[in-house]
Amino acid sequence: MSPSERELPGHTRPLATVSALPAPLMPLARLGRQRALVFALARRELLARYRGGVLGFFWSLLNPLLLLLVYATVFRLVFEPRADVRPYALFLFGGVLVWSFVSAALLDASETFRANGPLLKKTTVSPEVFPAVAVGARLAHLVLALPVLVAATAVAGALGSVHPTASFLAFPLILALLAAAVLGMALAVSSLAVHFGDVRDLLGNLLTLTFFLTPILYPLEAVPERYRLLLRVNPFVPFFAALHDSVFFFRPVPPGAWGAMAAVALLSLAVGAALFERLRDAIAEEA
Amino acid sequence: MTKLYRRYGRKRSVGTLKSALLSGVGARALSPDDAVSALSGVSFEVARGESVGVIGANGSGKSTLLKLLAGIHRPTSGEVVVAGRVAALLELGAGFHPEISGRENIEITGLLLGLTRREIASRFDAIVRFAELEEFLDAPVKTYSSGMAVRLGFSIAAHSDPDVLLVDEVLAVGDEAFSRRCLEKFEEFGRAGKTLLFVSHDLPLVAERCRRALWLDGGRLVADGPALETVARYRDGVAEREGRKRIAAADAAPPSPRIGSGRARVTAVRALDSAGAPSGRFRSGEPFALQMEVEAAEPLADFVFGFAVSTVSGVVVFGCNTAIDGFAAEEFAGSARVALAIPALDLAPGVYTVDAAVHARDETPYDYRRDLLRFEVTADRGTAGTWSPRRAWRFEGGIRWKG
Repeated sequence: MSPSERELPGHTRPLATVSALPAPLMPLARLGRQRALVFALARRELLARYRGGVLGFFWSLLNPLLLLLVYATVFRLVFEPRADVRPYALFLFGGVLVWSFVSAALLDASETFRANGPLLKKTTVSPEVFPAVAVGARLAHLVLALPVLVAATAVAGALGSVHPTASFLAFPLILALLAAAVLGMALAVSSLAVHFGDVRDLLGNLLTLTFFLTPILYPLEAVPERYRLLLRVNPFVPFFAALHDSVFFFRPVPPGAWGAMAAVALLSLAVGAALFERLRDAIAEEA
Repeated sequence: MTKLYRRYGRKRSVGTLKSALLSGVGARALSPDDAVSALSGVSFEVARGESVGVIGANGSGKSTLLKLLAGIHRPTSGEVVVAGRVAALLELGAGFHPEISGRENIEITGLLLGLTRREIASRFDAIVRFAELEEFLDAPVKTYSSGMAVRLGFSIAAHSDPDVLLVDEVLAVGDEAFSRRCLEKFEEFGRAGKTLLFVSHDLPLVAERCRRALWLDGGRLVADGPALETVARYRDGVAEREGRKRIAAADAAPPSPRIGSGRARVTAVRALDSAGAPSGRFRSGEPFALQMEVEAAEPLADFVFGFAVSTVSGVVVFGCNTAIDGFAAEEFAGSARVALAIPALDLAPGVYTVDAAVHARDETPYDYRRDLLRFEVTADRGTAGTWSPRRAWRFEGGIRWKG
């Protein structure tokens, strides 16, 4: 190597060098460097989705609003919900909104390399950008739908059915930890999907199963004590229990739950990134 | 290497590129030992500012090579070292999203090419101007014609200011005017000391634009040297292989565009050297002649013979006919031979194409054949442009030269 190669600091970007981070975490470092691209692609995803329709971004409010109305009608007129989760429509709505983020982000991630094949094969973009975009775009969807949840909670509060306190301030942090956990899973799912054709189908079934094994339709307290341990293996449980604490029951999230959420998020990122790094080489070639 | 250091002055060889690679592509989980070797044992260095053509048959590994250099794929063994920012033009407009506007696509494509937001903003107007898309900037890209999309794609890539530009056959896409502007842009890159790697099947183009060429065959680097030489070796290699293939087959003349009524026909065209022997390669400044064999289907009283010489990118450097030079037609019957002698071939080194025609005085073609013949011009020193006249410098006043 000639000394002149060092003459342009910050200009030289050898492709095959080692970085300060351990290799398994490299996907996260690359994501950090490419955040502007991740934002731009996620924004494009949203713009492209809504531009076609007349109502544009109003769809992002309209869909959850309709969902809420259906719940309110069905659970008032047809089913009799448990006494501790009334108004049940509101209880259900928060959990379903957040769950639809989780499941849509992971399903999108499982297809993202197939959908972005031309980009992967013809440009120098780092592949980890795409699962991150899938998560980012779905997260933006969720955030756009949140005004409906806020308004519905405010109405229920005014009617005296719930009693909002400052505990809802925990919600953004819960969501951030959940998004980190989902990003880790998205990295894993997207890279696995390149190697195995049936990842999306498996994932769909797994998500349906998990939906019922997660406190979304019911509060954690409704699960008999002896089965509650079984729920421990489901990484989503602490997030949704905390979600209910924060924006429905309006009570503080217990410290243990914060610890569990942080642990799930970190573990998921580490495992997802390591798996992605292992399978990375094949992505541009096989997608 | 030392020559190149001197040639490019202060900057020296800041960009060295070195790769030794062995790549297996296509191994799926189910059949791990079914690997295809796309490149094996390829190793070379490119100095900053070089323009290098990469030639070879389909499937010889050219595109794989560019993908490895771009970092899209990683070599199975060996390493690729590239100093500076790489932009790969593997497909113009890859990454455009049809539903969103040209404006938004420029931003995203710029980010994909490694530009920052600020860089994109400062180059935005230049990108739009080069692509000539001012009026359509806010329309979704799906409403663009394919030509518009390609122009936009090239413009963004060209303005991404890479240190190393990898180009894969993209010039085959656009129309002629667009191709020419792409070539101009490449020339600009070269003048700015950027490194260009250029995959193409257009051999004359490689010979004309690149100083050096690599020939890949079956994933191996079989030749690496001056572009004219590599192209010639490749041609010989292909010709030899083809020749062996069709010993029995009728040897048809290569098809070239041809228009005309056929009342007279150009049956052959040759370029002749100073000794009068047909050749494909000439020294700049030496005597040269063009010769065509013609046949009249019926006796003609109105006829003009003409030749035109063009660069491979389509610029006519010389065109003349018997009418311009004052010959008045009387009769042309049967077969004949027409030669145009040029005492000194004052062309710059490069590859040129020859058109030959026989037509009426009002230019109604009997037989007009484009690109019927190609020849190469060589010289000890390359000059800019296409004209390389015999020349002398004269200096008066306070100028002194060493030696």
